[in-house]
Amino acid sequence: MSALLEIHGLGKRFGGLAANRNISFDVNEGEVVGLIGPNGAGKTTLFNCISGFFPPSSGSVRFAGQDITGWPADRVLHAGLARTFQVVRTFPDMSVRDNVIVGAFARTRRLAEARTIADELLAVTGLEYLAAAMGNSLTIAEKKRLEITRALATQPRLLMLDEAMAGLNPLERAQAVELLRTIRGRNVTIVLVEHVMEVLMPISDQVVVLDSGAKIAEGPPATIVNDPAVIAAYLGGKYRPRLEATDS
Amino acid sequence: MSGDRPTAAMRQVSWAWVGLIALAAAAILIPLMFGGVAQLNLLVLVLLYSSLAQAWNILGGFAGQVSLGNAAFFGIGAYTSTMMLIEWNLSPWLGMIAGAVLAAVFAVIIGYPVFRLGGHYFAIATIALGEIMLIMFANWGFVGGAVGLSIPFIRGEDRRPADSWLFMQFNLNREGYLIIGIALAALVTVIAILIQRSKIGYYLRAIKNDELAARTLGVNVLRYKLIAIVISAALTAMLGTFYAQYLLFIDPETTMRLELSVLIALVAILGGVGTVAGPLIGAAVLIPLSELTRSALGGAGNTLDLVLYGGLIIIISVFQPNGLVALTRRGGKGRSTALPTDRQEAMAEEAPLLGGGDGR
Ligand SMILES: Nc1ncnc2c1ncn2[C@@H]1O[C@H](COP(=O)(O)OP(=O)(O)OP(=O)(O)O)[C@@H](O)[C@H]1O
Ligand SMILES: [Mg+2]
Repeated sequence: MSALLEIHGLGKRFGGLAANRNISFDVNEGEVVGLIGPNGAGKTTLFNCISGFFPPSSGSVRFAGQDITGWPADRVLHAGLARTFQVVRTFPDMSVRDNVIVGAFARTRRLAEARTIADELLAVTGLEYLAAAMGNSLTIAEKKRLEITRALATQPRLLMLDEAMAGLNPLERAQAVELLRTIRGRNVTIVLVEHVMEVLMPISDQVVVLDSGAKIAEGPPATIVNDPAVIAAYLGGKYRPRLEATDS
Repeated sequence: MSGDRPTAAMRQVSWAWVGLIALAAAAILIPLMFGGVAQLNLLVLVLLYSSLAQAWNILGGFAGQVSLGNAAFFGIGAYTSTMMLIEWNLSPWLGMIAGAVLAAVFAVIIGYPVFRLGGHYFAIATIALGEIMLIMFANWGFVGGAVGLSIPFIRGEDRRPADSWLFMQFNLNREGYLIIGIALAALVTVIAILIQRSKIGYYLRAIKNDELAARTLGVNVLRYKLIAIVISAALTAMLGTFYAQYLLFIDPETTMRLELSVLIALVAILGGVGTVAGPLIGAAVLIPLSELTRSALGGAGNTLDLVLYGGLIIIISVFQPNGLVALTRRGGKGRSTALPTDRQEAMAEEAPLLGGGDGR
């Protein structure tokens, strides 16, 4: 059986800058795959290439057996691949519930059914009590949680989270990890971008490490932390300044 | 923030019904009480502008695509039915449908390239569109050029002007226009409410809030914007036909001038953008006011009108950014439309919306 997501030789150039270079890896159904790398390594760019925000300059993306390279974002979503943003993008002038209903409409045309899906997911992610609150009235942690809820409402097979934990305090972070476990329990495959290795390691089955646009290591967390190339990338001056800035 | 509080959408819908019923009641009662030609005229205009603003609101309010060229659609409706009537003696009801279809096609032809440009180009492009249409029609002899077109009277057995439902013309009992005006206002309002409560309505609001996020949730942004402009254009054109039959005379100035487009937008903005009740309230307040100033300022009204409208826009945006409808809501004062700071940061950081992707 082939993997759910297959990235093959993916590259992305912005003018002279190679933000992604010849990246290949697979994500199997049911896995949690962590994607780490220092600041500017190309993680968000990779997300954007996969989720259809811009076409990759080279390489291919296969999802659930289909070649989705260069598909527009809405089509990728309907194929079953959802994502969240590093910098939150909740709908500010819509209620929390309406935010989630928009997601649910990806799978139904009927408002009543979309409401049911939304309410069920708000209960799962623990946002029920905020259902009537406006999107712009939430804290960062709540907004991140809402984005995840909204993405789940589209009933994805694969959910890609871009720094779902950044900017959260330790308690909120623990709650977010708990949420990830819940999502995983709902048979959603997860790709997780995170700077904070400690958060990522215990919940990831596989870790992919990017540096300067290229993949430098891949494997289970236990081997990754001892990989010399990873240690060099993280300790070789690049990760140090980033450690302080993690929560910015 | 308790869960049992009604959501904003529910409140809007119920206010829309209140507004609709109030308007209908006023429409029926006031002429009964005064019965004058001037009162009837004012009521027809209030109904017409509330409907035009409601149609504008589907595109400008729900989807956030501000059009300052809706008069072009209005003109298409007025000219299509009038030409069909003059050339082929076809009923304006048929002309109304034909005009709506033509305006819808026109809307797609305009919307497709302009929406792909994205952002504020849309508002600018619609101004240009309206002006081009105006100039084109003013120089097009076949449709009467700048002189315009007169719709011939329906005449009875005695050769005197008469009434006809089939030809949408009421020379004796002008209440016929009022009834059609009410029916059209009800139609447009019901359509707006249905849209608001449907997938289309949610998607349009999502697009208005954040296009990029909407796309991530599977919204085909271009398609839904086109749906909005098509509905808006078709309804506006239908109202154009009604207006032509009401005046029995059209020219490019009366049907397509920029002031008309601005006034349509202003009625919706004054009442409350993106709400169904807003255009009803806005028209009930602004149209009597504008008729009053028009008669007070005499015929020289045109440019002064624009000054007045511009001033109103400034006042609304400073003191009541969510429109008059917000006064009816809990707390009275409208919520600020200013973006929360973290969103401003977000926009600064992930600025290139289209094409560029979210740069960081
Ligand atoms: N739209 C864009 N246009 C031009 N350059 C871009 C664009 N998006 C990203 N880049 C550049 O590509 C490189 C990789 O950026 P990317 O955002 O993918 O890194 P990242 O690993 O997500 O970093 P961070 O940890 O800070 O989020 C950076 O040098 C960035 O400046
Ligand atoms: Mg990033």
